[in-house]
Parts: sequence; structure tokens; C-alpha cells
Amino acid sequence: MIEIDAVTVSFGGVTALNTLTVQLDAPVVGIIGPNGAGKTTFLNVLSGFVRPNSGRIHAFGRELTGMQPHQRAQWGLRRSFQKEQAVDELTVEDNVRVVLDSLPLSRDVVEDALTGALEFTGISAIRRRSVAGLNAFERRMTELARCVAGSPKLILLDEPGAGFSQSEVATLRSVINGIAETIGARTFLIDHDVDLIQATCQRTIVLDFGSLVTYGETASVLADPKVRAVYLGMEET
Amino acid sequence: MMASDPPVVSTPALAVWRSRSIGLLLLVAALAFLPPLLLASLWLKVLTGVAIYTLTAAAIALLYRRLGLVSLAHVALMGAGGWVGLRLAYGLGTPFEVNMLAGGIAAAGLGMVFAYPALRMRGLYLALVTLMIAGAFAIIVNVLQFPNGGGGWSGFAVKSAGYMPRPAIATSDVGYYAYCVVVTALGMALIHWHEIGKAGRAWALIRRSEAAAMSSGVDVPFYKVWAFALSGFLAGIAGVLLAGNLQMLDARSFPAAESVMIFALTIVGGAWNPVGALIAAALYRLVPALLNDFGVNGDAAYIIFGAALIHALATAPRGIAGQLEDLASRLFGRSNGGNTR
Repeated sequence: MIEIDAVTVSFGGVTALNTLTVQLDAPVVGIIGPNGAGKTTFLNVLSGFVRPNSGRIHAFGRELTGMQPHQRAQWGLRRSFQKEQAVDELTVEDNVRVVLDSLPLSRDVVEDALTGALEFTGISAIRRRSVAGLNAFERRMTELARCVAGSPKLILLDEPGAGFSQSEVATLRSVINGIAETIGARTFLIDHDVDLIQATCQRTIVLDFGSLVTYGETASVLADPKVRAVYLGMEET
Repeated sequence: MMASDPPVVSTPALAVWRSRSIGLLLLVAALAFLPPLLLASLWLKVLTGVAIYTLTAAAIALLYRRLGLVSLAHVALMGAGGWVGLRLAYGLGTPFEVNMLAGGIAAAGLGMVFAYPALRMRGLYLALVTLMIAGAFAIIVNVLQFPNGGGGWSGFAVKSAGYMPRPAIATSDVGYYAYCVVVTALGMALIHWHEIGKAGRAWALIRRSEAAAMSSGVDVPFYKVWAFALSGFLAGIAGVLLAGNLQMLDARSFPAAESVMIFALTIVGGAWNPVGALIAAALYRLVPALLNDFGVNGDAAYIIFGAALIHALATAPRGIAGQLEDLASRLFGRSNGGNTR
């Protein structure tokens, strides 16, 4: 259970998140909303890059609010970025190994976790390759392997599917669907691809202008006239 | 390794390193023992300088390559290491190796202080801060002078009271040259050992993006400070080696401009290849000496360096060493492992 309690973030005069209060409990939670709704700010608050002006974040009984980003990562919070952040000069496995370096694990456990993460994301065949020679999807999967390595508790994915073909998104979908069972972590997924949200997220939260519009079962949220109004801008006509 | 390993697609970096390591050992041995057979003692001193500055250039290249940080204070770090080494040599009469380690550790500590601005700044601003530190060091050491066997805390006497003793196993110029080559090789091996391990992976992520590094659990300030400490340690050791080469140090030879020069030459030589550090040091110490030998003022080298820097920035971002690497891979048709930097 991840509890967001009255979190407010403002940048100058812009309120990016406005007393957001929600309890997120599904294995995969979708986060949708129009551009500028505060989705990425929400992930940045969770991962510790943005300090909220007020409010608290609890995850699985642990208060995250005061923790540094790298401490949150060591605790079990992982994230991917809108622009993937795989490192060219390292091999695929070293890109993943970084996250295990910071954990107090024995050598054998590290090797097992590494192999597990690479197999789970389907890139063990290219584990020794330098990332510089990989295509965009392989780079994205490398980043995803970094997210799932080392028994994380909560994984935040910021538009992982943007710019990929249908078959690639299908692979991505099955990987995301496997996270809860195989990795044992909760996932928050931001994406504009409603099909991907529908196929992976049991529940979905909708944000607009930094405020919570609604939170509930994905199917009913997407059918909600309020949500359609937010997305299609009907309220303004 | 594990049974589930897929067939190896490309050669693992470690295996390449192993097959190369014997060749590298032979190269170091050749560099250490061949030149003394061929050269007069003046040139041997110049080459000793090249060996020492190779270590400094490698230390600068480490910060630039791994963290994208520009340090214009490395000659000052050498001076600080040299000061501590000289002070111990005259004050306590400790063996050269102990003085060298102490000089390295002192410069590492200073490097960690330099790292403080680096935690918040990058690029031009950090370069300016390090340049000011180098300038401050030049002034301090001009007042304090290097210890030369005198009494008191600073150990300076107006009339030089003695020379710094060299290591017991390498008192002659020939022996000391080989000693410097070996120490430099060990220093570069230390850098390599860091780069293929935990620290190297963390640095690579920090260079890619600090946000990505943090969200992968990398303690960014810690690894930045570590890089500065390692770089300072090696520069400090180079400073003590320099003190041993001349058996004294002159405060006037550590102006801030020298730090700028050795940084620029590190870029010209190539920060992405160990050979680049050797090229940088050769340009810095050997070219002016050669010009003097040809009857041209050694300062003319600065004109050549300026042209070389423009050339490096415009056409060879990986420096002369990078160009040589490209040439070699073209001649022998070898892939450079996807290294497209």
C-alpha cells in the first residue's frame, strides 16, 4: 500500500500538485492525464527529485518523504525516465549491475539477480554487448532490467512505450504484466497509450492541473464522462 | 560462470584486458629499461619528467572522462604532494615510498576539498573555481617556499641546505627513471582497476545523468568525492616523484597557468585512452626540450599546443590517441567495440 497524504508541490506560482491525497493498492496503477497535469512531477516526488512543499508519502509502512533519491533506490524504489538512460560505454549487464552494486548482497546473489533481471526482460542474449550498438527498444529493456533487478518494491515507469512499434509494445506489455508475479513489486505506469494502460493496469488515477480527478478500476475510470471531458476538453466548449 | 550463459556475442572486456596485460607489462618494461641505454643523462631527465607528467595527465583524464569535470588545479595538487613529500624527507628522514604515499594522501585530501564545489557546479564555473584554487596555491607556495632542508615548520632556508634523497633502490638517474615509469604504470593500473569495478560503473552513470545515477542507488556525492580523491592522490604522488627527479622543487615552477596547460594537453592527447596521457606528457615535457635542442625557443611550443588544441576540439574529440586508435582499427580492420565517442 502506497499512501500519498496531502502532497502539494508548487514551482513559483504554478501548483504542479495540489493537496493530492490517494491510497494506491493495485499491482499496476496507471497514471493518466493531459500534458502538464502533474504526472511526471508525481513520479519525481515519489523518487525524491522534487521535495513537496507539504504532505507525506508512506510506502509499505515506511515514510519516504525525507529520504534522498539514492536511499529510496536502495530501499527498493526504481524508475525509468521518459528519455531512456542506458549508458553507452557500459555493457548491458554492467548497466544493470550498477543498481546491485549499491545493495548489500553477496557475489552469488548479485549474479543470480543479474541473470534473473536480464532473462525477465528478454535481453540475456545481448548481456555482454556494449549499449552503444543497441536499438532503441533494447536500450529501453536495458533500463527496465535495471528497474527490476535486486527485488524492488515499487517501480515507476514514465512513458516506457512511447515511440515503439505495436509488436514491441506487446513485448513491453507482457513484461509489465509479469512484474507483480515474478518480481513481486508494485508498478506505477504513466503512458498516453490508453490500450497499454487498459491491458496492464488494474486501477488508474487521473490527474488534471495537479489535482486528483478520479481513482478507481481502469475500465470504469476510462468510461467516466469526467475523465473524457478532461482528455477531450469538452468542459471548455 | 553460469550454465545458462548465452554464446558470447562480443569479447568480454575482461578477457581483452587479460590478453593485453602481458603486452602492457612488456611495454612498461621496455619503456623503463630501453631509453637509458640510448640516451644521454640530460634527455633521461626529460623522459623522467614525461613519465611523471603521464601520471598527472592520467589523473586529469580520469575526472574528465568519467565525470565530465574540468580540473585546472592538478599542477597545484602536484605541488602540494611534493611539499608534503619534501617536508617528510627533510623533517623525519622517512623512506621515499613513505613520503610518496604521504604526499599522495595529502593531495587526495586536498582533492576532496576541491570536490566540494564540484558537487554543485559543472563546466565553466567549476573550471574557474579550480583555477582560483591553483592561483591561491601559487601565491601560498611562493610565500612558504618548498622545504629544502632548512629549519622550522616550513623547512626552508635561503641557501639550500641539501637535496631530497631518492628511493634507496633507485638513486642513479637511470634507476630513478625506471622507478618513475613503474610507479606511473602502477598508478594507471589503479585507475583502470577502479574503472572496471563498482566505482567505474557508478561514474559512468553519473556522467550519463545524475538523476539516473541517483535513482539506481548511486550515492552521487560520495562517488564524485572519491574520483577527486583518487585523482588528487595520483597527482600528489606525481608531485613527490617530481621532487625526487630534481631533488628539490622551485616555488616559481607551479603557476596556475601550468595547470591550464597540462589540462589542455590532456585533451589534445586524448582523455579516452591511456596512451593519450603519455602523448600529453610528451608534448608538455619533450617538445619544448626538443625545440630548445634545435635552437628554437622552447616557448614556441605554446604556438604548436594552441594549434593542436583547436585541431583537437574541431576534428578529434578523442584526441591524438583516439585518432591513432581509429587509424589502427582501419589498418588492421578491427572493430573498436562500438566505441563511437
